[in-house]
Amino acid sequence: MKNQILIAVVLLGSCFASAQTTVSGRVTDKSGNPIPEANVYLEGTYDGASTDIEGSFYFETSESGTQTLAVSVLGYEPHYEMGEVSYFENLTIVLVEAINQLTGVTLSAGTFEAGDNSKVSALKPLDIVTTAGAAGDFVAALQTLPGTTTVNEDGRLFVRGGGAGETQIFIDGLRVFQPFNATTVNLPTRARFSPFLFKGITFSTGGYSAEYGQALSSVLLLNSIDVPDQEKTDISAMSVGAGVGHTEIWGDASLSFNTQYINLSPYETLIPSTQGMRWNSPYESIAGEAIFRSRGDKSMFKLYTGFNYANFDIEQEDINFEEFVRFRLRNNNLYYNSTYRYFFDNNWTISAGGSISWDTNDIGVLTDEIQTRETASHVKLKLKKMFGSRFTLNMGSELFNINYTETFTAPDGFTFDSDFNDRIWAGFAEGDLFFSNELALKLGARAEHTSVLGEFTIAPRLSLAYKSGEYAQFSLAYGDFYQNPLSEVIKFDQDLGLEKTSHYILNYQYLKNGKTFRAEAYYKDYDNLIKFDTELPQFDSQFDNTGEGYAAGLDIFWRDNKTVKNLDYWISYSYLDTERNFRNFVETATPNFAPKHNFSLVTKYWVDKLKSQIGVSYNFATGRPYENPNTPGFLNERTRTLNNLSINWSYLIDQQKILFFSASNVLGFNNISDYQYANTPNANGIFDRRAITPPADSFFFVGFFWTISADKKSNQLDNL
Amino acid sequence: MKKILLIIAFVISLGGIAQDQYTKGMQKAFSLWEEGKIAEASNLFERIALAEQDNWIPYYYAAQVNAVSCFGLKDEVLLTQRLEKAKEIVDIAKRLSPDNAELLVQEATINMAWIVFDGATYGMTLSGKNTQLYQEALALAPDNPRVVFSKAEWDMGSARYFGKDTTPYCKDVEKALELFATFESDVPFYPGWGEDRAKQVLQNCKS
Repeated sequence: MKNQILIAVVLLGSCFASAQTTVSGRVTDKSGNPIPEANVYLEGTYDGASTDIEGSFYFETSESGTQTLAVSVLGYEPHYEMGEVSYFENLTIVLVEAINQLTGVTLSAGTFEAGDNSKVSALKPLDIVTTAGAAGDFVAALQTLPGTTTVNEDGRLFVRGGGAGETQIFIDGLRVFQPFNATTVNLPTRARFSPFLFKGITFSTGGYSAEYGQALSSVLLLNSIDVPDQEKTDISAMSVGAGVGHTEIWGDASLSFNTQYINLSPYETLIPSTQGMRWNSPYESIAGEAIFRSRGDKSMFKLYTGFNYANFDIEQEDINFEEFVRFRLRNNNLYYNSTYRYFFDNNWTISAGGSISWDTNDIGVLTDEIQTRETASHVKLKLKKMFGSRFTLNMGSELFNINYTETFTAPDGFTFDSDFNDRIWAGFAEGDLFFSNELALKLGARAEHTSVLGEFTIAPRLSLAYKSGEYAQFSLAYGDFYQNPLSEVIKFDQDLGLEKTSHYILNYQYLKNGKTFRAEAYYKDYDNLIKFDTELPQFDSQFDNTGEGYAAGLDIFWRDNKTVKNLDYWISYSYLDTERNFRNFVETATPNFAPKHNFSLVTKYWVDKLKSQIGVSYNFATGRPYENPNTPGFLNERTRTLNNLSINWSYLIDQQKILFFSASNVLGFNNISDYQYANTPNANGIFDRRAITPPADSFFFVGFFWTISADKKSNQLDNL
Repeated sequence: MKKILLIIAFVISLGGIAQDQYTKGMQKAFSLWEEGKIAEASNLFERIALAEQDNWIPYYYAAQVNAVSCFGLKDEVLLTQRLEKAKEIVDIAKRLSPDNAELLVQEATINMAWIVFDGATYGMTLSGKNTQLYQEALALAPDNPRVVFSKAEWDMGSARYFGKDTTPYCKDVEKALELFATFESDVPFYPGWGEDRAKQVLQNCKS
């Protein structure tokens, strides 16, 4: 027995001591160039080495039998080789280049992304909210990007010759049905949500993914924050109201909310808006948002809710009335949005979500009353599978349900009801294929069925990107886009077809050391646009789908935040050539919302000594078309050019307190967006007119922002 | 009985061999690091981590090698590669050892490297994150000298930026130094850095 033990111990010992096998070879890329610093090792053992400058490796191992040799290095796909250890000698290992999301090609034609580490970031969320002239409205800041036109009496996004109704907004992939505050003509609106709940903003000015539809021109995608950084309380006092917000974190779950009360009365008393209007009761709103997030090991759940109550009572000038015309509005909006994502081990991701909104308006125009009620919902299921780093498949299905009713009541008791109920089903599939770090393709299609029109459409989407140098790339995109006629039409006539555009985009992008240059040329072909035979859509209008048009143009963007220390600036220029025959146009013409040249310059300068950021923005646009019935031709006259110089100043009093000041159009340019002509000529046979101008030339804003967090350090600079 | 003894002896000896291999490997990696062979050191720490499977220590150092090498680095591509790799490694380590204050400090170090590289871009987004990390770390390990010192140093940096008095944090540095004097861990290769720098910072406090 003793002997046996002895033998066993000796044997075991010798087993560990002897039998060293040599593992050696060379690691190269496809063209035979050596790859240094690669980690080469036998899986599950301590034995391994790094490759030298020649790509060679050499080590000894006491392992025997079948082993797995692993090779890993940044920038290449990991490589595994199984076999007898004794055969691992003088190996030649060729690594396949990994798809690098950081330095490789990106599928970015037509999009501006504002994300923290996103490579195609033209802007970061912070940039958006500190833009002078934007006054904290992130949509206003997006209007300094190329591809948008300045339609400052509206406040919404007008993209590449498209109307405001051609852009859709999504939060975490789910549609927001009423993204803007309710308002009336010539009183610019603002987006309902505060930008600081979002970590990434993607603004696509065309050629976007098959995942999105029902938008002829553009989509704006907002992604909410997964995990907030810290607990804090925010308090703000502004010249137009006050707000309070709080973030609470419990381990993997967190809740953020903010609520804001706005009342323009004190401001209007001090600096009244007098141009073509007077307030009976200035704009007043109370709004709140809350988002709950819970993160599991492999899952993420979010619930967002927003409510908004607003009312105002205004009287506006109208050329056809002796007296000012009274308009009253009371709006209630409630919105829920919930998403759940689960990441499976085999690279599948499932996302499920739903959004629902209730929106009511009680409107009074002169002596008429209009009541609108809209309930809209969106449910979506999406699957994503990544096949290595080279191919990603996205597919999903979604259902929209929109229920709209409107009651018109005249003082004599006459009432008219209009309504519609639309269910839109859509399915989409799309693949992202990276052939190499230089060439990538996105190919997809979207199928849609809309119940109210009874139509079925299939829209192809295609995007191709080629990286021509270390810093430069070209992209091409093509896509068909369909959208239902707007509610203002569909509530009166449901025997219509979908409106359609096709986008053709060619993009060039150059990114180097904090400098971005982008040039994008596009052509948009509009078809099946809605036409009607009255001034505005109404119950007795004759509607049809015979409208059409085009938009062609060039968008240029330049940004540099490196050349001058502490100075960040960007320049946007858009050339737009568009004509269409739609709505009540008598012939093909350029619409009022489409000036030919748009230019924006945005600058921000950080003055360290003053602990201040000073921002200056300048905006220029050529004249906008308007129709003068006193002259022949249609929509062939132009307003004077638009000029706007805005400034802002944020001063950090200390780590937690900020004083913010902003003023728009400080030079007081008198900008004219359009002219309104009388319906009937005067005694001399001339149609009288009045200029449509903003309610006030300039707007001033003063705010004090105070953040209370346990660390006494964070502030609300990123909320402004 | 003898058989059992034999098995015990065998297991101990195997364990001993594994331990030796671990010690040898770690020492080798440290010497590579000292020689400035960043990639080799990182590779070896990673190999050890993969072989050990449930030990967070080699992951900790793999991340640290990469993160520390980025201070003063100007090459954005290399810096991004290293810091992203370091973050991935720390994330793996955090799964192996949740609620580990040392790993939170390590994560904050990675963020700090981003901020030092480009304060305008990363300062605003990552400094809040770091403050939260130091707070969490302090709640988990109030007597860990590295946690106390790193937090104090971070708070000093912020105070200095805003032109505030930094002396209140000198107390924390002193406390950290007291903790360094008594801090012990029986985990082999448990992080031990920080005392020298703390002394330096305290010197600045007094001058």
